[in-house]
Amino acid sequence: MITQEKYRTTVKELLASGSVKMVIGYKPGSTPDRRRPLFIRTSEEADQLVLDSTCMTNLSGYLVTEGLLSDEKRVGIFLRPEGIRSINILAAEYQLNIEQIVILGFDSTGRDVRPLEGRNAGDFSGLLSEIKEKPVQTSKEPLLERIEKMNAQERFDFWQEEFSRCIKCYACRQACPMCYCRRCIVDSNQPQWINTSSHTLGNFEWNIVRAFHLSGRCVQCGNCDRACPVNIPLRLINQRMATEVLDGFDHFAGLSPTQEPVLASFKKDDTETFIL
Amino acid sequence: MTRILFSDKLDNCIAKWRSAGLTVIGPVQGESLSGYAAVEKAAGFEFGMVLPERPLKELFFPQTEPMLRYTIKKNEIDTTDFTAPQGKRIIFGARACDASGLAIDDPLFGWDYKDEYWFQRRNESVIVTIACTKADDFCMCTSLKLAPDSTKGSDVLLRPIDKNRGWLIEELTDRGREAFAIISDYLQESSEPAVPTVVVPEKFNLDACVTWLQNPENFDSKFWKEISMRCIGCASCTYLCPTCHCFDIQDEGDTYSGIRRKNWDSCSFALFTMHTSGHNPRSTQSARWRQRIMHKFNYFPGKFSVNSCSGCGRCSRQCPVDMGITETLQEISKL
Repeated sequence: MITQEKYRTTVKELLASGSVKMVIGYKPGSTPDRRRPLFIRTSEEADQLVLDSTCMTNLSGYLVTEGLLSDEKRVGIFLRPEGIRSINILAAEYQLNIEQIVILGFDSTGRDVRPLEGRNAGDFSGLLSEIKEKPVQTSKEPLLERIEKMNAQERFDFWQEEFSRCIKCYACRQACPMCYCRRCIVDSNQPQWINTSSHTLGNFEWNIVRAFHLSGRCVQCGNCDRACPVNIPLRLINQRMATEVLDGFDHFAGLSPTQEPVLASFKKDDTETFIL
Repeated sequence: MTRILFSDKLDNCIAKWRSAGLTVIGPVQGESLSGYAAVEKAAGFEFGMVLPERPLKELFFPQTEPMLRYTIKKNEIDTTDFTAPQGKRIIFGARACDASGLAIDDPLFGWDYKDEYWFQRRNESVIVTIACTKADDFCMCTSLKLAPDSTKGSDVLLRPIDKNRGWLIEELTDRGREAFAIISDYLQESSEPAVPTVVVPEKFNLDACVTWLQNPENFDSKFWKEISMRCIGCASCTYLCPTCHCFDIQDEGDTYSGIRRKNWDSCSFALFTMHTSGHNPRSTQSARWRQRIMHKFNYFPGKFSVNSCSGCGRCSRQCPVDMGITETLQEISKL
C-alpha cells in the first residue's frame, strides 16, 4: 500500500510539472483479483492507480500505439524488470525514443510490492545485469520437466495436441510488446504466406513462426500465456528459445537500449558460414 | 407430476441414444480447457462448471470448414463440394446462453442465402439445456432479458433436482420429444421440486443503452475512444462469443489446385475491413470496438429484431485487458 500511495503522489507530480503527458499504469478490474491498464492524464485519474502483486500485465506494448510518442512528449509507465527489458528492445529496434520514457519501476515477491530505483532506462542496467547473471530461482514447472523427458516424436505429438486448440484469435500476438509489426506476416495476403485456417498445419505454421520471431527478443513477461483463451502453455516455448539464445550467443534480451538484436546483426569474424 | 431423468440412469440413456445413431455431446473438462465434446459414458461429462470455456457455436460453425476442392485445368475448372458432416447429435447439458446463441444466429444464416453448413447441423442436433444453479461475476443473461432457464434455442429444458440426483424434464419441441421418447423406459414420474435457478443480478439497463446507441449523434462520441483505449485488438471476445458469426472465405493451395475454406474472422482485426486500395474505413481500434457493440445492439436487432448477445459473459471473462460488453454497456448506462 505504501508503494502505491508514494507512486500516486509521484504520478501527480510528474503530470503537474508537465514532465510527462500521460502515465500508463493499472487500476482495479471487474473482479478483486483483476487489474486493468489505466491511462492517467489527470490528478483524479491518478487516484484510481493500483499497484500490487497482481499487476502482472507488461504494459510496454501501449508505448508503440500509433501517434502516442510522435509529439516527442514524455510518457510515464509502470514496468516490472521484464517490462524495462521490453522497452530497451523496442528502443534497440528503433520503435521508440528511450529518452521519452519515464520508468516507474516495481517488482514483487509474494504479495509484497516494492519500487525500483531510477526513472530512465539507463538507471536499471545494473539491475538487469544482475538478473542475467543470477536469474530468480523458481521451482521448475512440472509440465516443463515432462516435456524435457520426451523424445522428439513425443514432443511433436504434445505440441500438436496443444496447438490443436489454437483458434487463431492472435491474442498472443496482440498482447506481446514485441509484436509491433504494422502488418504481420500472417496478414500479408498477396500472396498469403501463412495459411489463415486454424487447422493443424495452419496452427503449427503460426506458432512456430512466432517462436522463431521472438527468439532473442522475448523477455518472458508472460503476456501471451495469460492472454491465450485456450490455455496453450506458450511461455514454455519462449522460455526454451531464450535459453537457447543465452547458451548459444550469450544474449540476454533487453539488457540495454543499444543492444544489438541477436538474429538481426552480423559480425565479419562470425565463425558461422551462414546467417539464419 | 413431471418426469425425471435420474443421474444414475444417464449411462443407460447415453447407450440408448448411441444405439439409436445419435452422437452424445456435452460439457467436458479437458486437461487444460473445457468445452462441448462427445462422450461415451456419463462419467465423461462435467456438469459442475458455470459454463464451458469454449462456446457451443463451434459445433455448428467450426473455426475452419472446407467448402470445395478445386483443380484448374487448361480449359476448365473441376470442383468438388464438401458438405457438412452428416449425423444426428444430442447436445446434453447445453447452457441457456449457448442455446440462445444458436437461435439468435438462425435468422442471420438463413437471411439472403441459406447457409447449408449451419442448417444441416441445426436440423440434426437436439439441444438439451440444463438450467443454471450457479453463476459467476461475468454472467449477464438477465441483463439481456434472458434467464438461466431460458428456453430459447432449446429442444428440452432440464431443471436439476437436489444433490445432483437428476433433472426434471420440460420437452419444448417435437425434436426434443422424439429424443426423449428413445429413453422413456428410464424416466420416472415424480413430484419432486427443482432446485431454484441461480439469481443473476442485472448489470446494466439494456433499453437505455440501445436508445443511446440508436442516436446517430453518439456514433462520433469521444466515449468510444476512451472505452477502447486499452483494447489490444485480438479476437478472443469474438471467437469465444456464442453469437459472433463473421467468416472469411480463403483459397488454400497453389495456382492449380486447392481447397476453399470458410474460416472465422473478427471485426477486431485491422485487416477485417481493409480495402484493396489500402483504405480502411475502420482504421482505429475504437472504430472496431464501436462496430462490435453497434452490430450487436443496434444493427443486428434492427434487421432481425433480436440482440446479438445472449449474456454468457465470455468476452469479459477471457479478455486479456479486462474489457468486454458488460463494462461498455455499464458505462453507456451512465452517460
